Amino acid sequence: MTRTSLIALFLVTAPLVAAASGTMAYWPEKAVVQKEQFEPVPMPPGFQIVVTEQEGPVFADSRGHTLYTWPVRQLRNGPVGERKGQPSCDKTVYTVNSGLMSPYPGGFELPEVATRPSCVDLWPPAIAADDAKPIGKWTIAQRKDGSKQWAYDGYALYTSVLDDQPGEVNGGISGSTGEVGVRRPAEAPSMVPPQFSVATRLTGRTLTTIDNYSVYATTKDQPDKSNCTGACLEEWKPIVAPAYAKPRGEFAVIERSPGIFQWTFRKQPLYTHVGEPFSKMYGSDVPGWYNVYTQYTPKPPAEFSVQESPTGLVLADKNGKTVYIYMCADDALDQQACDHPDSPQIYRFTVCGGGDPKRCVERFPYVLAPKDAKSDNHLWTAMWIDPMTGKKAKPNQTGALYVWAYRERPVYTHYRDRKAGDMTADQWGEFYGYRNGYKAFWLRSDFGGRGE
Amino acid sequence: MNRHPHSIVSFVGALMLPVLGSASTPVTPKADWAPPGGRIGYVLTNEVSWGVRETPDHKEECPDGFNIGPREQFAELYPKDGKKRTLAETQLKREAEVWAPDTTPDKFPFHEATGKYALGIDLDGKATPEDFESDDGRKGIDNQLFRVVGCVRNYRQEGELGIITTKWRAQKPFNRVTFEITGVDSLKNDSDVMVSYYRTLDTLLAGPTGNYMPGGSQRVDARFGKRFIARAKGRIVDGVLETQPFDQLLVPEDGMGDPAINIFRTAQLRLKLTPEGAEGVLGGFVDVEQWYYAMNTSWATHHAAYGQASAASIYKALRRLADGFPDPETGENTAISGYLAVKLVQAYVIQPDAANTNKVAAK
Repeated sequence: MTRTSLIALFLVTAPLVAAASGTMAYWPEKAVVQKEQFEPVPMPPGFQIVVTEQEGPVFADSRGHTLYTWPVRQLRNGPVGERKGQPSCDKTVYTVNSGLMSPYPGGFELPEVATRPSCVDLWPPAIAADDAKPIGKWTIAQRKDGSKQWAYDGYALYTSVLDDQPGEVNGGISGSTGEVGVRRPAEAPSMVPPQFSVATRLTGRTLTTIDNYSVYATTKDQPDKSNCTGACLEEWKPIVAPAYAKPRGEFAVIERSPGIFQWTFRKQPLYTHVGEPFSKMYGSDVPGWYNVYTQYTPKPPAEFSVQESPTGLVLADKNGKTVYIYMCADDALDQQACDHPDSPQIYRFTVCGGGDPKRCVERFPYVLAPKDAKSDNHLWTAMWIDPMTGKKAKPNQTGALYVWAYRERPVYTHYRDRKAGDMTADQWGEFYGYRNGYKAFWLRSDFGGRGE
Repeated sequence: MNRHPHSIVSFVGALMLPVLGSASTPVTPKADWAPPGGRIGYVLTNEVSWGVRETPDHKEECPDGFNIGPREQFAELYPKDGKKRTLAETQLKREAEVWAPDTTPDKFPFHEATGKYALGIDLDGKATPEDFESDDGRKGIDNQLFRVVGCVRNYRQEGELGIITTKWRAQKPFNRVTFEITGVDSLKNDSDVMVSYYRTLDTLLAGPTGNYMPGGSQRVDARFGKRFIARAKGRIVDGVLETQPFDQLLVPEDGMGDPAINIFRTAQLRLKLTPEGAEGVLGGFVDVEQWYYAMNTSWATHHAAYGQASAASIYKALRRLADGFPDPETGENTAISGYLAVKLVQAYVIQPDAANTNKVAAK
């Protein structure tokens, strides 16, 4: 590759991440095709690593279906989930709530109990053959029914019936889920030097230092050459590599001055922003500087926008109204998700309209998709919804709406948001929106403790 | 009647402390003083209460005791009597009442705070029967929010709000707000000053024991905090700042990671000023719906239950006692007179450089 073409590639990967206001400038103008690289860890036969659009590399079965774990989680009145080596997801059909979420007691009959599935109906275990052998961090757990189950890092592995295609991660998320015992995708290790980590954000996978400070690069540098000297170093701190560091994957090392080495990623010299608190992205406001992504999430549909709110940058619809996602996990011992259209809708109707679906449509209207809406990715899709049941509808069914969905869950706006950047329904619902409620679609949270 | 309940005594007493030249060296307060350039800022550090005047035995303001909360109401409605019940007709029904509240009569008795005295300001210039009197003898004090929350434990010093909110007020960056008074010829008496209000960006200057100290700086958030900026004229009388009404003040309140904002319409300040700090009340007509939902998104039923704060009951009381900003169509009041009792410390307000507004504001 010539030097000219190298520079051209370098500039393409330096995205437009300046503050957005009513535009979609938060994502690169052109699609960036790079995917995150992962460590070639040993795996049993029949498993693989799939690089997903949001979580990056995850372990998957032979079909490419994402594997999930259910790590034990302490709720207010007791733990749920699985301890290492102790799978508990089984054929039990729970009929009453557990009362693990104060202040309400347990013992009340769950919604749609007659058709309620068991845990394994929703989460088929990754069954290991009788002669299967552990390898690396992959071990074999004994299930109570006598069968064997694959585990990674001690936690039993499952697939999700919500995933149809390789690369889908509809069963759970790796981000913050509050005090809810939900499943998490089994993330495969990224190929990053020990000084680095990768954070999953709604915009993509951002490179951070191991202690969670955002990593930056600048358009003022050249491939494998830092131009940040003198006054620049007062604001930007090169990420220094040890003398014994070796290039690996997309990381390499340059010698910025005799004996002083600096990490690069895809030929971009890497820095932290002096004085910036951990996990923030303030440095990307400085002209010419940007956060380093190992990969971007697919850009939201074209009619969406990005708005400035009192907390940071939030995804909005075409009218600038903040977009919300709905989160829900029931309070049975198996903590089944109730946040997608195939699950009982009474939870959502409770918090969006006091139990009245019509009121829900008024207060939390769906974000409508044009009839010809198409998607080229797993994250953003359009689906037909019957707003009176909240469940999926047939195409053009009477009364049905064609709506945008994120991870197969419809997205909404809120009637109390009147101008761009309002976010009056963030954390609307039970337990700050995590157990049964709405969260704003935060792209960058400068003032809140979470969101990205 | 106890004219000097303990919290009031400590509140006033604090104002009488000698002005401190530094954290360790007390100096005699000057009879009069003007800040350099006629400019002094104060950053909010403590949200003492939602304008609740407490007496030691609560008999003055809550003679019938305190209200019961979500847990107790649930137990009354759904006793452990062996009857099978569904989640839909119990827990979800209760949550529906939280997220879609109404003004039908409350199933439970609601104890409103009462008495002759309250914190606050005469917001409407009228003395009406529902008004209170201040401890320093001012009449016509409008504070109907006190009636709503005064007998709810969560809103008293013993409650979780009292314990935690002040901590978060200080810790969470979303909450940082700062007043700057300009045109100050005297911090004791000045008939014409300008008061500006900003969301600002910096952590509080804290001493070794966690006390907040004067002398820090606060950069104005001119980007994400643009909507907070407000100005009003004011005057200083005997060391007390009184403002004319701001059109509105937006007061951020980040509770459990939630960025909620309360709206004070025709807001006023009444703050006792010293060169090192200020304390008093920020009040106005609080938007009822916004206050209610800010409460619920900041405090899950779980945490509200700690302090026996039943959202559904509080909503009915809010709507019943709302006393301002009638809806032009229905005539129903949409706002309620209320206050934050606050403490602030002096801080230097740094305006963003016009050429680098985003850069400075984002830091």
